[in-house]
Amino acid sequence: MSEPFEPKIIAFVCTYCTYAGADLAGTSRLKYAPNVRIIRLPCTGRISPMFILKALQKGADGVLISGCHPGDCHFTHGNYHARRRWMVFRALLDFIGIPPERVKYSWISAAEGVKFAEFINSVTNDIRKLGPFEQYSQLIEQTQAPASL
Amino acid sequence: MSIEEQYRKRAMELLSGGAVKMVIGYGRGSNAERRRPVFISSPEEVNRLVLDEACIANLSGYLVNEGLLSDEKRVAVFLRPEGIRAINILAAESQLDAEQIVIFGFDVSGNEVKALKGIHVEEFEDVIGAIKEHAPEMGNEELLEKIEQMNPQERFAFWKEEFAKCIKCYACRQACPMCYCRRCIVDSNQPQWVNTSSHSLGNFEWNIVRAFHLSGRCVECGNCDRACPVNIPLRLINHRMAQEVLKSFDHFAGMSKTQEPVLASFKKDDSETFIL
Repeated sequence: MSEPFEPKIIAFVCTYCTYAGADLAGTSRLKYAPNVRIIRLPCTGRISPMFILKALQKGADGVLISGCHPGDCHFTHGNYHARRRWMVFRALLDFIGIPPERVKYSWISAAEGVKFAEFINSVTNDIRKLGPFEQYSQLIEQTQAPASL
Repeated sequence: MSIEEQYRKRAMELLSGGAVKMVIGYGRGSNAERRRPVFISSPEEVNRLVLDEACIANLSGYLVNEGLLSDEKRVAVFLRPEGIRAINILAAESQLDAEQIVIFGFDVSGNEVKALKGIHVEEFEDVIGAIKEHAPEMGNEELLEKIEQMNPQERFAFWKEEFAKCIKCYACRQACPMCYCRRCIVDSNQPQWVNTSSHSLGNFEWNIVRAFHLSGRCVECGNCDRACPVNIPLRLINHRMAQEVLKSFDHFAGMSKTQEPVLASFKKDDSETFIL
């Protein structure tokens, strides 16, 4: 295994700001790490913590979540609700022992294509340094083992 | 007159006068140390009611049984301070009308049972405020401290061992007065959010989801802890989450029946130090 570890990262983004920001990064021909799979949602308020857990459960090494800056939500306050939820969810993950560094949050507007590209790069780097999420992949492997009699 | 006799007498009066249609209280259990819930609807039965230091279960969950309150008649229930907080939360979440609940409040300190004055939830605000200021000892502070000191790997290993015991019986959910969803997320299979098998991965998911859904709602009555057949320290996780919402949002669950649920409200200046 001489090749550097390439993490799998799932990004949950809101369609009005961050997805448009990603689009801008693309049309501006900005290069960023190809490790991120983007999932577009109507609003950060739509991002249930279940999504984050599901991504980890399916083998993601990191999750990133991004939406409109506070005050800019298309639905006026979806991101405020989301922010509270993350605050609590982060503490819970920490207490359970899932490193909160594997789940990153940011606000990226439709005009911030550069910030988007930089954010993806920095998160990919951080997760690469952390390495594969082995604790969870062990659990995933167990689920595939034949049932003991 | 002992508090047990007082409350039996009050139950008798309420039932015979038709002021309440039912009294939910404690009766004798399968042995001398155990109490089980009793549902009394005729005045002749009030002698089945027992009230002593062994009455620990939070009975508020029975109130959200389907159809119980839909005839708009009143129901009386024996509650400790945690139970009264639970009524506040259920009312705040529009699960019941607090006007329909007649409270037989009591608290236990050591071997002594003392009555709490009041009938309706509004009258207990002082009692609840006092708990917010001076949280009663849970007996799990040492373990909490120990877990806080661990690094993430050790914490993960600790919980992995604890959750490995879980058999996914969902007794914690059934016992919890806050878990009233008609269709729990673990019962829905399109999509299947939580693995149904009781392997460690599924157990992690279930316990994380359970704790998250109770964040800012749990009153720490300990029903889940007592119901768990394999003794996972469930209350500890809930307690940690309660600390978190108190610290971050100054939210103490169940202060009043009009309190906004913490995760269904927000402030524009909520802390966001972790957001890049």
